[in-house]
Amino acid sequence: MKKLLIALMALGITLGLVTASWSINFGDILNETLKPPPQKKAAPAPKPKAKAAPAAKPKGGGGLIGILEGTGAIDKKTSGILRGATAVVQSMQPIGWEEERAIGGSLALEVFKNFGGQYKNDKLQRYIALVGLTVAGVSDRADIPYHFAILNSSAPNAFATPGGYIFVSSGLLKLVRNEAELAGILGHEIAHVAKRHALKTIERSKTLSGFSQLTTSILDSDPGVLNNIVKEMSTTLFTKGLDQNLEFEADKFGMDYAYRVGYNAGGLRDFMKVLGKTQKSRSVLLSTHPTPRARYGKLNAQAKRYRSASLAPVLSQRYLAETKGNL
Amino acid sequence: MRQRKFQMIEFFLKIVTIAALIVGLWVIPALAETMYVKSAKTKMTAEPSARSKSLGYLSAGQAVKVIAKEGRFIKVSVGGKKGYIFKFKLTSKAPSGGGGGGGLDLLSGNQKMAAAESSSGSSIRGLSPISENYARGHGISAADISAVKKMESLSFSSSQIDAFQEQGGIGPYAK
Repeated sequence: MKKLLIALMALGITLGLVTASWSINFGDILNETLKPPPQKKAAPAPKPKAKAAPAAKPKGGGGLIGILEGTGAIDKKTSGILRGATAVVQSMQPIGWEEERAIGGSLALEVFKNFGGQYKNDKLQRYIALVGLTVAGVSDRADIPYHFAILNSSAPNAFATPGGYIFVSSGLLKLVRNEAELAGILGHEIAHVAKRHALKTIERSKTLSGFSQLTTSILDSDPGVLNNIVKEMSTTLFTKGLDQNLEFEADKFGMDYAYRVGYNAGGLRDFMKVLGKTQKSRSVLLSTHPTPRARYGKLNAQAKRYRSASLAPVLSQRYLAETKGNL
Repeated sequence: MRQRKFQMIEFFLKIVTIAALIVGLWVIPALAETMYVKSAKTKMTAEPSARSKSLGYLSAGQAVKVIAKEGRFIKVSVGGKKGYIFKFKLTSKAPSGGGGGGGLDLLSGNQKMAAAESSSGSSIRGLSPISENYARGHGISAADISAVKKMESLSFSSSQIDAFQEQGGIGPYAK
């Protein structure tokens, strides 16, 4: 009987410890296990001036697939599928930080050139940067620098280029009614950078097909490569727009970042109503993004999931005080 | 008969206990959850309040041991010190360069850093030479080059950002 009691106590203690360990996120452990090897952060040492390291392109008749096709073990269709899969495996390495910065800086120059130049008001720029840095600091990519500027354009626009360059137009700031709305808008742009939306798009594009890796020495030695990248990214960001799902993803994280800071999470959603009333022809924000109505719907559904979020501040007085006489 | 029944139950419980013990021992070390500081100059305070005494600042990527979660703050242990960090300044994802770091940096609140630096561990640099070359080859005006440089060089002290957040009741000051 005594032995039975001891065994029961031991079982109870052990089960207690195991239950406590349920708080461990096995999903994170799995993600860490499956995580690809770390990307390079800094640019590698300059390589000899040469063209890009081209990806080993599968060629007809080569390798195991070619042998299998040659011996009749697989037909042409199957070999095609296998070659496609091989190409995906051999696709380009993610663009590194120094290269991202060079591309993003060049695109930032294009933004100023094409969208009215700099809106010169130091006080206002500092305010926008303070809101932006606060939001970026809780984002999923807080370890890179973020830079904020205002464009001298009456059209309501907002842009983000890789490397953390974020722009809002003076026209957009005139439509914004409070700091929570501004935080949501900046959060959307920060999310594009944090999730590397534009970079992922260019990595998959024809412009970089044949490259296994993009390095600063390639960008430096062959200006044509950078020209093509900036040209394609400009078309994507300023004319065609990113994939609509990426825009919805940026909305989702933009709202979440504003919520993390402690703003009323409904800021970005509420601004969609304002944006919906503006003239489409005047704004790239409208012509390249999903409709404000569609965005409002998704954001409204998301906002309902935040507990007590509607009680969080919108800081309309501070926004008005900071912008009054400066726009 | 009754004696035999007890013996069987006892044997069964022993097996279950040993199995639970093995699983427990495998999982218990993971209880001490590690998190990582997202960005440079992350403040650690003595209490779960941004207004409490500052214990110092942590570098981006610094690994910390989680002790407890208290509202919008996480109680952590780092470099032999215990304190609180605003929870959205921490991530469970290890930095690509590996965690670790030098523990607490005891900085003065007014130490200057770039706007970028205030929320990141990256160094302060101007427009990339590659982007400068791009500007020369694409008719970018001096005003636009200057505008990019200006946005890159805008700087704030950690205390300026802290004061901005305190005034608005946001970030670690949010209720």
